[in-house]
Amino acid sequence: MAELTHTDAVFTPKPSQPPPPNTVGVVGWLRKNLFGGPFDSVMTIIGAGLLAYFAYGLFQYTIVNAVWEADSYRECLDVTQGAGACWAGVDKWMNNYLYGRYPDAEQWRVNLGGIILAVWLAPFWFEKVTQKIAVGVSAVLTYPFLAGALFLGGDNGLFMQAMSSVALTLFAAVWLNVAACYSGRRSLGAVLVQVTGFAGKDDRLYKWVYLAAFAVGFVVAFIFQSTWNLAPVQTTNWGGLFLTLVISGIGISTALPSGVILALGRRSKMPVIRVFCTAFIELFRSVPLITILFMAVTMMPLFLPVTLNPDKLVLVIVAVCIFAAAYMAEIVRGGLQAINTGQYEAARAVGLNYWKMMTLIVMPQALKLMIPNIVGNFIGLLKDTTLVSIIGLYDILLMVRASGQDPKWLGMHTEPMLFAAFVFFVICFAMSKYSQHLERTIGGGYGRR
Amino acid sequence: MAVLEKGSPHRASRSLSEWLHDERVRSVLYQAIVAIVVIAVARYLFINTSENLQARGMSAGFDFLSTGAGFSIAWSVLPYTAGDSYFHVYLVGIGNTLMVAFVAIICTTLLGFLVGIMRLSKNWLIAQVASWYVEILRNTPLLLQILFWFLAVFSLLPRPNKSLSLLDLFYLNNRGLYIPAPVPGDGFNITLIAVLVAVGATYAQAVWARKRHFDTGQRFPAFWTGLGILFGLPLLVFLVTGAPLTFDYPALKGFNFLGGASVPPAFCALLLALVIYHSAYMAEAVRAGIMSVSHGQTEAAYSLGLRPGMTLRLVIIPQAMRAVVPPMISNWMNVVKNSSLAIAIGYPDLVAVYMQTSLNQSGHAIEIVAMVMLFYMSVSLSISMALNYYNKIVQLKER
Amino acid sequence: MSLETVDSEGQHIASAVSDEVVINLSQVNKWYGDFHVLKDIDLTVYKGERIVICGPSGSGKSTLIRCINRLEEHQRGDIQVNGVTMDTNLKNIDAIRRDVGMVFQQFNLFPHLTVLENCTLAPIWVKNMAKSEAESVAMTLLERVQIPEQAAKYPGQLSGGQQQRVAIARSLAMNPNIMLFDEPTSALDPEMISEVLDVMVGLAESGMTMLVVTHEMGFAKRVADRVIFMDQGEIVEQNTPDEFFNNPKSDRTKLFLSQILAH
Repeated sequence: MAELTHTDAVFTPKPSQPPPPNTVGVVGWLRKNLFGGPFDSVMTIIGAGLLAYFAYGLFQYTIVNAVWEADSYRECLDVTQGAGACWAGVDKWMNNYLYGRYPDAEQWRVNLGGIILAVWLAPFWFEKVTQKIAVGVSAVLTYPFLAGALFLGGDNGLFMQAMSSVALTLFAAVWLNVAACYSGRRSLGAVLVQVTGFAGKDDRLYKWVYLAAFAVGFVVAFIFQSTWNLAPVQTTNWGGLFLTLVISGIGISTALPSGVILALGRRSKMPVIRVFCTAFIELFRSVPLITILFMAVTMMPLFLPVTLNPDKLVLVIVAVCIFAAAYMAEIVRGGLQAINTGQYEAARAVGLNYWKMMTLIVMPQALKLMIPNIVGNFIGLLKDTTLVSIIGLYDILLMVRASGQDPKWLGMHTEPMLFAAFVFFVICFAMSKYSQHLERTIGGGYGRR
Repeated sequence: MAVLEKGSPHRASRSLSEWLHDERVRSVLYQAIVAIVVIAVARYLFINTSENLQARGMSAGFDFLSTGAGFSIAWSVLPYTAGDSYFHVYLVGIGNTLMVAFVAIICTTLLGFLVGIMRLSKNWLIAQVASWYVEILRNTPLLLQILFWFLAVFSLLPRPNKSLSLLDLFYLNNRGLYIPAPVPGDGFNITLIAVLVAVGATYAQAVWARKRHFDTGQRFPAFWTGLGILFGLPLLVFLVTGAPLTFDYPALKGFNFLGGASVPPAFCALLLALVIYHSAYMAEAVRAGIMSVSHGQTEAAYSLGLRPGMTLRLVIIPQAMRAVVPPMISNWMNVVKNSSLAIAIGYPDLVAVYMQTSLNQSGHAIEIVAMVMLFYMSVSLSISMALNYYNKIVQLKER
Repeated sequence: MSLETVDSEGQHIASAVSDEVVINLSQVNKWYGDFHVLKDIDLTVYKGERIVICGPSGSGKSTLIRCINRLEEHQRGDIQVNGVTMDTNLKNIDAIRRDVGMVFQQFNLFPHLTVLENCTLAPIWVKNMAKSEAESVAMTLLERVQIPEQAAKYPGQLSGGQQQRVAIARSLAMNPNIMLFDEPTSALDPEMISEVLDVMVGLAESGMTMLVVTHEMGFAKRVADRVIFMDQGEIVEQNTPDEFFNNPKSDRTKLFLSQILAH
């Protein structure tokens, strides 16, 4: 029997026949998915009818009957009789929806800040780039200072200047690293070692090379940024979508580290630490965000020294950070619980101490598992940030409301709200789809790399 | 022996570094540091606070609770007049919050189940419609949705004299929703008693039908019988006692409606927004729960001869509920918390009447913030206790 | 290589085949989308007959037996079970499912019900049996599969072999006259396979009509009246185990046997 090794040689299967015509193709699909039975067919027809009705109505309102050029809401209404949208008003207010009352002449700074962030994070999606974690960490830790210096303008003291210089240096380092990776080298560090001639020498000296390179970069960056002369813009003038993104961005980037600490504290064996972390998490998770915001603007000033007169935006950001950290802590805890105890035991068995076990073994695995939830949390936070409009910060939602109270555009509520809903939907939907994509690609991807 | 007693004889003479590397010593040390830091921060905040209060000429404490609030509340479930105390305002706010949250929880659960089941429909169109419903609602802020319903729908309703009406019983206009209010007459109590009797009888017959089924194998149409008793008996008693119930119908008098019961537009907008927004989350919980039951369970039930309806009732739903209930309950909690967005459209909930109006007026920030948080925390705590209890009951037994 | 009809486990058990047809498939075809899984299947099963179906994975053997109790819908051809024609009439499907028991590879026990409740669910709700009667039937069956002491436990507390024996008892509780087995031992640890096979052998001895999809060739030799070999959606060869193992007709069968009996 040894010669019988190939199926084809010994067996000719009957040729496959095409399936019955009404079970495949368009007809089969329709029969299976839309007209599977009398009840199904009725549901389909009712559903399609309702859908067509709403789609037609929306199309008529937003496109066909809409007015694109007008100088006041009255003018719009004269044309549409209320049957169409007045996009002219949204267009006139667009600048405010996006930037609030940030001076027109300075808005390039906001745009530039956004572009820097995008460029900074772009290497994440580059195939060949190594040390992606460093890219993320450097951006999360130092970008806010650079952005702050850019958005605020004016003189913000030596600390801000130093931190923005660090940010600039790291930003440059990230892109030099990209260049190094794409020119066939392993990483920026390897290039530095090679250029300075330390290659092959004791690798304990390498860190001094890195440090020296960083110091050089820092000095250059510091001199560069000290030439800036940006006009100061008060935070009270920040607004619109810009403000929404600033608050939620700071919220989420501080939430991750503080959430990790809180989660570890909650799982700690030390009772004092555990009780404190648990109480913090449970307190701020059980109350609505609006009460935390009210607490921040009414109660927190009482807690601070009389001489200090804190900026309302700062108080709000602190509140949002506390809120986001409490939620993030539970996500991290969930991620930690999903890690097999075998991983902890193996880490201990090879002699790692608590912090090494956490940072080298547990957290990298847990963070991967948590990505969908973290993105979900960010979407939630972005939506919840609209609550700052209730306590009077001029975010996109308050701008939307304000435009309907503008004497020229009095009563224009539906159009700006549709616009804002569209903006939020696009951002949140794209993020959630992307996180689902990540979940699929890295979920089981341990064997791949 | 010496090996076995390693370390212990030398305990007294250990160096400081050895001592610092002892696991237990470290643990105590860390905890002490944290405790000291927390206490120091608390003390710092306390000192600042008392200085601040002194500077503003205020004193801390709950004395203000018994003083009259002096402002009026537009609409409340609990009776309230402008002279009532701040503590009464607190209770009125809680009443209003619970009112809108309770109705919203019931409606959103029903709607969520409907949408969740629609998302699992074999009918592609229905599943797609349900899926886009969920995506659109979950990806736009709730506050925006509340404002939309309030500003773009309920505020644009006609004036009272041009109200939308249903059968001339229900009226909807820009002042709110007006419905007939029932006014019980003499002997209506008998009908109420009949309702209680009917509920008892329905339960008893369900138990009896089940017992008979188990004892003899004979089935009894318990559902339809129960439905008949539940509605038939009270109706019969109601008619026999001479229909002692009248309605106070809302009627247009001058520029506004009088009579009947009414809820303000803010209530309608908030309720609608909460129900629709959370139904999307509820639908996802329901969908995930049903999907979590493997297809093999359905096949096994079918192969035993169970019909689809029975398979759903006896096999799928009992298992799906384990996965659906926990997110469903935390969703209810979110309804309670999110009802606080009422403040944006002027519905007088706890946050609006107490944390905003009362706080602005009395200035007792710390006390008021603490009281409001206490309310939400106790709701959350009781809900999570109920959830833990449920989880304990339904936990599957494993090896 | 020598192949024995009778392996070391014992004699081939006596056959009890009558000439009453219980299952009849004629020209059955099924497609998954464009993929042709069953091609012109003709199969007649007589009362008391024990059929083992084998073949490489993806050959359509599971699909074939799942068509017999309508877990899968066939698109062309006729299926008759106990004289009832399989069509879209729910009454007919119910009648067929009442008389056909099925055991799955993954057991598919109901995890929220105890072992006893798993066995009484269908008798109580489908056959409208009194609970006490259903329980006594179930206990008898659990004794037959040798796990009466586990009646009050939940499936999650049992081993795989025990779970599969409960699944057999659960199917038998409906008193079926045909049993379908879809790779009943494939998800089990080696030492648990024999306890399940023993129960199946016992069932065969009692004269049950059985269709078994399995790779356990020892079981086939000992129990089967007929062995069917399938590949690429068609029945390549069917014969008595004696002829099938010692004297296969088709080269495809020879190749298959050489691969599975090579070690």
